[in-house]
Amino acid sequence: MVRAGWPRDILPSPCPIGCPAMARPPAPGSVIAPDWHESAEGKEYLACILRKNRRRVFGLLERPVLPPAVAIDTASYKIFVSGKSGVGKTALVAKLAGLEVPVVHHETIGIQTTVVFWPAKLQVSDRVVMFRFEFWDCGESALKKFDHMLPACKEKTDAFLFLFSFTDRASFEDLPGQLTRLAGEAPGVVRMVIGSKFDQYMHTDVPERDITAFRQAWELPLLRVKSVPGRRLADGRTLDGRAGLADVAHVLNSLAEQLWHQDQVAAGLLPNPPEDTPS
Amino acid sequence: MGEEGTEGTVHLLCLAASSGVPLFCRSSRGGAPARQQVGPWRSGSPKLEGLPFSVIGSLNGVHMFGQNLEVQLSSARTEDTTVVWKSFHDSITLIVLSSEAGTSELRLERLLQMVFGAMVLLVGLEELTNISNIERLKKELRASYGLIDSLLGDSELIGDLTQCVDCVVPPEGSLLQEALSGFAEAAGTNFASLVVSGRVVVATESWWRLGTPEAVLLPWLVGSLPPQAARDYPVYLPHGSPTVPHRLLTLTLLPGLELCLVCGPRPPLSQLDPQLLERWWQPMLDPLRACLPLGPRALPAGFPLHTDILGLLLLHLELKRCLFTVEPSGDKDPSPEQRRCVLRSFYTLVTAVHFPPEPGQQEDKAEDAAQQPQVPKACYLVSGTEEPGTGWRLVALQSGPRRLLLLLSAQSPVHGLRGLATRTLHALTPLL
Repeated sequence: MVRAGWPRDILPSPCPIGCPAMARPPAPGSVIAPDWHESAEGKEYLACILRKNRRRVFGLLERPVLPPAVAIDTASYKIFVSGKSGVGKTALVAKLAGLEVPVVHHETIGIQTTVVFWPAKLQVSDRVVMFRFEFWDCGESALKKFDHMLPACKEKTDAFLFLFSFTDRASFEDLPGQLTRLAGEAPGVVRMVIGSKFDQYMHTDVPERDITAFRQAWELPLLRVKSVPGRRLADGRTLDGRAGLADVAHVLNSLAEQLWHQDQVAAGLLPNPPEDTPS
Repeated sequence: MGEEGTEGTVHLLCLAASSGVPLFCRSSRGGAPARQQVGPWRSGSPKLEGLPFSVIGSLNGVHMFGQNLEVQLSSARTEDTTVVWKSFHDSITLIVLSSEAGTSELRLERLLQMVFGAMVLLVGLEELTNISNIERLKKELRASYGLIDSLLGDSELIGDLTQCVDCVVPPEGSLLQEALSGFAEAAGTNFASLVVSGRVVVATESWWRLGTPEAVLLPWLVGSLPPQAARDYPVYLPHGSPTVPHRLLTLTLLPGLELCLVCGPRPPLSQLDPQLLERWWQPMLDPLRACLPLGPRALPAGFPLHTDILGLLLLHLELKRCLFTVEPSGDKDPSPEQRRCVLRSFYTLVTAVHFPPEPGQQEDKAEDAAQQPQVPKACYLVSGTEEPGTGWRLVALQSGPRRLLLLLSAQSPVHGLRGLATRTLHALTPLL
């Protein structure tokens, strides 16, 4: 759902070709041009979320500025990141935002939100849209201790991002429960699964066959992210913004794709799906 | 005195007073004493690698032994380490060991008060005084590690020691003050402040009435956290509301500049959306931007300070606010870290030894001091070296509720220190 008013109220343009049903996510790359961010044009747009090769951090009063000639619309979405305690929710969000991933794990005290801007190109219209993702991340014990936290996170959320770790079997086995608990009551909301620490395959607790079985059972997009720290700039300290973006572009593009697609379905711009989720 | 700094470590132990079970152990070296290299996301029960268990046992044992004989063991010194014990509500014992050069009991006692305050802030007093399930408490306390680590480590702030709120003076304070009050009313709370890198820029009257330690801890917490667009944290106010949680809402208007609210169940975080923020704060964009460099500088650009001044700490002991900066003449020696360290030590010295106790510290003593005919009004010290004319100068001045501490370059003539300090205090008086 594109929320009204900030910074401009826009609706997705009609999609001329037939798209898959609501329950099924769009085929990867069918909505958003997957490697556009690596093209010369894409790189130009990316410049507005970078500063001196670092990722720019935006305050709530700020937004990326493009030259007036290429001004584009912004689509804002709320994404709730869910997953077992210690699985790396805060670390994932920091990675997506191009921020330093904390070395020591500190339990998240309550709810925290992070805004990530991501320009992406729509396949159909060749139009570039600025996606504004607001990630909501909440510490597990706060969720359990305070009743108002979970409703606040779920309220008007556009997507659930379920996180598990390849090095923590329990976090993977926890997924079906979470999926039913959280997303069951919100059928029109995008659901996506991310497996973190994929690069630590030596320690993997979740073999490929389990992933395949999970995919078949749930028909949800499942992405993998690495946990290696991002590349640094020449000074050896600051994170290289462009390299960091390249590491997470597949996640941001996939989110953009699911959300844009879902918007079109919700706005009735796509042929209505005959059935909801196959149970 | 001039050489202390990064040497030495601070270890903090927290135990359940009745059973002696360790609840956690933190250290100034990289936070967790157990640098949990394996599975950093799965910090289970606190490991106490920093100190052997036998040492922890003995430290707690000797304190308990004293207590059984109705002797309060408060501190001890070895050749290189100072140890301070403190029990809270007969339920939690905190022990701090510091091998940092020039450390003092005053600094460590206040550190423990802040650490306990931090524990209450994030866990609640009830959980800490009625320990029904020790494993659950250990788990809950993990939420306070980040804040506690920041209290043990080097900070640019000094509120942990002075127990006064670190503040900065914005160039257009009244404009911001007005916008803040309006916004707070619109958001439905009386408690609002603007915080830049952990220092309060402006705050509503109610926010200023927050007691110690929360008045210090809330901005400190905000300043110690990695950047987030917004937060909604449950907090217990150790002084004002230790058992009923409130909500701390923070909204990052500009990177490093956060709008903080303390409120009850309302408003929901989602209500404080970008539209509302833009309506109130977009017109203030320039004054807000002007606050960003104030973090380490504390004073508005162009504020006239004598060129000999290398560091400054101004305290208002009644308002419980302070201005602390080591930025003046930043290009000269010593380094900012060293300057902070020297001023911290000097503050500890004049507070523990020379000046009358601060109001609210130990009331009975304060009354005694008022009756004493001789109360020091100023004191100075030459630091760093014994060669005449080469050490940094330190001067402290007490005038009414204000106390000014200056760090001055070695060139500053000793006979002019008092005059310089008096003039500086006079110039700063309208600001705090």
